[in-house]
Amino acid sequence: MENSIKIVLLCGGRFAFPALQLLAFEKFLYAVAIGKGSENIVDALENECTNNNMKFNHFPNKAKIKEMKDWINEIQPDYIFSISFPFLIPEEVLKYGTDKFINFHPGPLPRYRGVMPIFEVLKNQESHTAICAHFMNANFDEGNIIFNDPILINDNETYGSLTVKLSKRVAQVALNMANMLQFAKSIPSIIQDEDFAYYYEKPTLSDTYINWKQMDAAEIVALINACNPWNTGADTTFIGQPAKLIEARVIDKSSNENQPGTIIEILDENQICIATADNKQIAVTILQTQEGIQTVKQLHRKLNLMNLAFN
Amino acid sequence: MQKIGILLPRSTYYETISFDIFQGLKSSLENLELKEYQIITENIGFGADKQQCYRAAEKLLLEENVSLVVAYIGHRTAELLRPLFLAANKILVVLDAGANLPNEWPTCPNIFYHSLHNALGARFSAQKAINDGFSEGALITGYYDGGYLHTYSISKSFEDFNGKIVFNHATGYREDDFNMDPLTSHLDQYPNSALLSIFSGDFVQWYFAEINKKFKNKNLPMYLTPFGMEETMLEKAEFASEHIKGITAWSKKIENSHNQHFIETLEATGRKPNIFSLISWESAALVEKIISLLNIHKTNLHEISSDLKNYQFETPRGIISFDHKTNTTLSPLFEAKIIDKNGYCDIEIENEITNYKEEFEKLASFQLENINSAWYNSYTCI
Repeated sequence: MENSIKIVLLCGGRFAFPALQLLAFEKFLYAVAIGKGSENIVDALENECTNNNMKFNHFPNKAKIKEMKDWINEIQPDYIFSISFPFLIPEEVLKYGTDKFINFHPGPLPRYRGVMPIFEVLKNQESHTAICAHFMNANFDEGNIIFNDPILINDNETYGSLTVKLSKRVAQVALNMANMLQFAKSIPSIIQDEDFAYYYEKPTLSDTYINWKQMDAAEIVALINACNPWNTGADTTFIGQPAKLIEARVIDKSSNENQPGTIIEILDENQICIATADNKQIAVTILQTQEGIQTVKQLHRKLNLMNLAFN
Repeated sequence: MQKIGILLPRSTYYETISFDIFQGLKSSLENLELKEYQIITENIGFGADKQQCYRAAEKLLLEENVSLVVAYIGHRTAELLRPLFLAANKILVVLDAGANLPNEWPTCPNIFYHSLHNALGARFSAQKAINDGFSEGALITGYYDGGYLHTYSISKSFEDFNGKIVFNHATGYREDDFNMDPLTSHLDQYPNSALLSIFSGDFVQWYFAEINKKFKNKNLPMYLTPFGMEETMLEKAEFASEHIKGITAWSKKIENSHNQHFIETLEATGRKPNIFSLISWESAALVEKIISLLNIHKTNLHEISSDLKNYQFETPRGIISFDHKTNTTLSPLFEAKIIDKNGYCDIEIENEITNYKEEFEKLASFQLENINSAWYNSYTCI
């Protein structure tokens, strides 16, 4: 049976591409618009849309968003899906139909509002995250929730690996939503409970910096994973210079009350064991110094790392 | 009064499937302490019409306001229904033939799979052929049965156990298009290969009839999966070889008090017990547990999921528990062989398989990138 609803997908780049492909394959996709995006991606997307007889638009900045209203009114889609679209949709555009704009937020709502929920759930050591399908209103991530589709976070998941996993999953979730819109008599939704709501601002250095005096081993490793690769790694200072820790694991072993941040052991020349505030250790294998990204083994050839400290 | 919704399929060759599933659940609930309940049914046809499946589930949830839904469907239909159940914050218990392998094993806290494990049985059947000394195997199936990924399970497993698949044959799905002619040249070339056979329902009967027509008294070594070893179909299938073995999920010949009770109860209602009444009979224990957990945890599905996955219960085929990673129940499987009963087939149980949990973990870790099934319908529902 030919799908009867026409969907416009507003996207922000590669994260949405699996969804775009799946919605197109299932014949739901009617038009695509991208916000920001590199020239290469925009050109490639425009070519694909042209070749597949789909409408395309590009909204590179907030000023251009004003044109969205006319475009939507002209092409008359049934629904507008948003996946990582970087701009707030103005109320003037939303007037096209409040139950027609659906955002797929890559984190559980209402607890993880904001632009980088993938970073926040990893930093907070959550065991699960979610893709939340919600109706859009004039504020970021505040519209009524249709469903939170839960996703398991594996041990040692990084920002990169979780992003890839969510990108694949959001494709299926968007397809499920499209099927739901096609077949349902009504779409159930609930108002977000403000008691549980939290809006996370875009992380700054204070969010990505390791506080050796206060953070325990699990918190530090979670932060390192949450920063890899978008921030390269978690920020720290090493011999007076900025550095980033990129790959690490918790070692369930006492640090014998050594000063947190101190390198107390070197394992097989390729891991440095660093004391943490909870009297445990983390083993680091890859880091970035002023010289660039390097393995512990490479760094250790140039410098005797034993007893040096991060702070 | 608890309302329990059930989505019932239909099948051309298992004509009574919806009655069997309904009666299994009803009889089992009557045996449990859960007395105040009402079963509300909706028809989903073959389970292939997405709109029909969605609307049926929507009606149960939003109009009937059932406490939970039980459905004989596959993973793909469950995925279709997933947002509805998430949005409604209700639980779906999937009665799963286990014929398919999903591209992504389920982790959703409100969807649970109670399975007959045909694909896992296929893995054990492949292993049994290897253990019997066969290093070469031929996958024999049909257009319909071949569309589910139990075919991948049996082939991949045969190779996992150091065998080699040397031939594949998928025959037609109409009786006049169903033939085993290509086996002649295959067996000339590989006379010592095992026939790893995946058929269900009428196709099992047609398969054995074809084997008898072309290879009578050759005693070809055939290895079947649980749906191929299903007794009600086998009793109408010609006996085709002294060497037909396989894996069964359930048999009337499993000796324990739960099985005896199940068989006697179903027969007292005038129905012949089979794998469909079995799986819904067993699901009543899950229904009862979920309802008790709903009373404790209200609408917190994560808490319910966590507690349910630690639940074990005794059934006619042994103790059933959950694989935590996949929300799927695991149960013992049985090695069996087919014996002659007046020219037709009967089952003889040989052994109970005990390492099913370990092998299921291996099955669930198969990499299925670019390996897909296009079949939407509930297995055997055509």
